[in-house]
Amino acid sequence: MNGSMRFDDGNSVAIWGFTDTAAGQGQMDGMGGGSFPSPAIRVTEGQIVHTALTVPMMFMHTIHHHGIEPSWQNDGVGHISWDVTGGTYTYQWKAAHAGTYFYHCHVNTPLHAEMGMYGALIIDPKPNPNDPPGTKRAFAGGPIYDVEAIWACDEIDPALHTLQWAAGTCGGDVGLNNFHPKYFIITGVDGANSALTAPGIAVNMTLGQTLLVRYICAGFFPQKITFGGLTATIVSSDGRPLPSAVNVTSIEAASAERYDCIIKPTKTGTYTVNIQFLHWITGAVLGTAKTRINVS
Amino acid sequence: MERRSFIKMGGASIASAVLGSGLLSWVPRSEAATISKTYYITDGTLTMPDGVAVYFQSFSDATGTLTIPGSSIICQEGDTLSITVVNKLTKTHNFVIAGLLPTDPPLASTGNIASGATGKITYTIPTGKAGSYLFYDNVTSYNRFLGLHGGLAIMPSGKSNQLYSGSPTFVKQLFWIFNDIDPNLNSAVQRNATIPTSFTPRYFTINGQTSLPPGAVGNGDPTKDAMANPKTVLQGSIGNRTLIRMLNAGMASHAVHTHANHMEWLTDRGAKRPTVWKKDILYLRNNLGKIDSIFPFEAPPDSYPPTTTGHFPMHLHDEMSQTAGGGLYLFGAMTEIIFV
Repeated sequence: MNGSMRFDDGNSVAIWGFTDTAAGQGQMDGMGGGSFPSPAIRVTEGQIVHTALTVPMMFMHTIHHHGIEPSWQNDGVGHISWDVTGGTYTYQWKAAHAGTYFYHCHVNTPLHAEMGMYGALIIDPKPNPNDPPGTKRAFAGGPIYDVEAIWACDEIDPALHTLQWAAGTCGGDVGLNNFHPKYFIITGVDGANSALTAPGIAVNMTLGQTLLVRYICAGFFPQKITFGGLTATIVSSDGRPLPSAVNVTSIEAASAERYDCIIKPTKTGTYTVNIQFLHWITGAVLGTAKTRINVS
Repeated sequence: MERRSFIKMGGASIASAVLGSGLLSWVPRSEAATISKTYYITDGTLTMPDGVAVYFQSFSDATGTLTIPGSSIICQEGDTLSITVVNKLTKTHNFVIAGLLPTDPPLASTGNIASGATGKITYTIPTGKAGSYLFYDNVTSYNRFLGLHGGLAIMPSGKSNQLYSGSPTFVKQLFWIFNDIDPNLNSAVQRNATIPTSFTPRYFTINGQTSLPPGAVGNGDPTKDAMANPKTVLQGSIGNRTLIRMLNAGMASHAVHTHANHMEWLTDRGAKRPTVWKKDILYLRNNLGKIDSIFPFEAPPDSYPPTTTGHFPMHLHDEMSQTAGGGLYLFGAMTEIIFV
C-alpha cells in the first residue's frame, strides 16, 4: 500500500503498508486502498499459519513476524533469509505461544518500518472447554478480560517519508541515523488530539469490566507509558507470561517490546493515558501521544 | 523472489567460529589467583563501512595498535587484579572499573595517568561482586565513546556455570559491548578542537565491529565483520546455553533483539531481576547500562516443521543503529546466531 496519513495539524506524510487483498483491501498493485497500521493478523495457539506476501513490480520487501521464532527460511529478514520481489512467498510457522506480537517489513528497516510497514499480530490461546463460551483470556490459564485495546505507539519523522524504498542501501547519506520525529501516534491515529476519542483506540468500558491493553512499542526511540493514574498489572511481555504478575503505574519500553497489561478500574471516570517518546541519547521527551480510558 | 548469497558466506563463518576460541574461557579454581594484565593507551584510525577514516583511542595489548574493546578479563571472587596501564598519548587518561550497581563507587581505578606515565591497580575482589563490569576512561564524559573501554567478568568463587551463586546455568559465555560513534567528536579530540555539545552517532558497533553483509568488502572476515567474529557470534547446538554479558559503552540506549529464541533476562544494570523473564527485546540503557541474559539455544519454537539448525540475526531494533554513515542498512551493530 502506498497511501498517506493526515495529522491533526493538517499536514500529511506518505505511508506504506501491507494490504489484505483477501479481505477486500486494495489491489495487488502496491498502490492505495489499505489501512495504517496494516491489518492485524490474529490466529489461535497451535495453528499452522501461512502468511502469503505478494510484492508487485521491482520492490523488495519481507514480512518478519516479530517475536515469532520459525525456521530461518520463514524468518523474513532481508538479505539473511529471503527478499521478496516480483512474486509471492508464503511464510509458514506455528503459533506456539499465545500473546502479543507484531509484524513488519525487514528490508531497509530503518526506512520501511518508519514508513508504516507493520501491523499487530495476536495469538489467542486455545479456548478452554471449561470456560463459558466467548470467554477471552490473555493466554492459557491467564487472566480473563472483557475489553481489549491494541496500542501500537510510534513516532514519525516526516523527513524520512520523502525517500524512495531503497534509499541508502547502496551508500550515501540519506539520514537514516539521524531521527527527528515530529508526530506521535497510537495505532495509526495522531496522538495529539484524535487518539483521545478515536474508536478502537480510546477505550469505553463499564465499572466491573476488565481491560487487556496490548501495548506495542512500535517506534524506534524508547517510550514511557502511564495509565492516567490507573494501576496496570503486567501479565506477559514479548509473548511470554511472566512468572508472577507485576503491578505498575507506568512502563518504560524499548523499540519492539510488548507488554500485556490487565486494568480493573475501581472508580468511574476518564483516565488519560500518556505515551512519552524519549530521545535515545538525551532522554528528553520529544513528544507525547494521548488516549483515554472512559469508565462508566 | 531473490535469495542472496548469505548461506554460502555463512558457511565460512561457521568454519572460522569453530576454529576460533573467542568465547570467554573459564575453569574455576579452588584457590585465588593474581590476574595480571598490561594495557597501553593508544590511538589510531579505522576505516568505517562507508570508507571514512575515523580517529579512535583504545586500551591496547601493545603499543602502536588499536584494540577496541580492550581485551576482556575473566576472574573469580577472591582473585587479585594486577592491572598496569601505560599512557602513550599526550593527554591525561585513567582506567576505571565501574561499580556493580549504578549507585556503587567504582570497583577500582588507576587514578589519573599523565602522558607517558604508568598507572596501576591492585585489587582483591571480595565475595558478592560476581557480575559483568565495564572498564573505561572517565577523565572526560566522552573518552569511552572513543574506544577506551572493555569488559571484566567476575565469576562466583568456584563456579563454572553461574552468573551469580544460584543463577540459572550456562555452558558458554561472551561479551557484547556496544558503542556509538560520532566522527565529529572523534575528530575534535584528534584535532584538540572544541568538543561538540551534542552527539549524532553515524556508526554503531558490537565488540568494536559493524556487520558487513554479503557483497561487502570484508564480509566473513572475523577481524572486520561482527557477523563472523567468534568473540561476538552466538554459535551452538541445542542446549548450548550461552551467557551474554551486554555492556553499553556508547551514548545511546538500545533495544537488543534476538531472533530464533527469547532470552532469559537475569540482570539489569547489575541488579538481579526478581524473576527471570523471557524476552525477545532487552532494553539496554545508555549511561553505562548493562544486562546479563542467557540465550538458551532451544529449538526455534514456532518452526513448522521443527528445526534445530539455521542462521539468524541479533540486531538492535532502534533501527538507526543498523546503518553506517546515514545509509548502508545492515552495516551496523548486528551479529549472527548460528544453530549447528
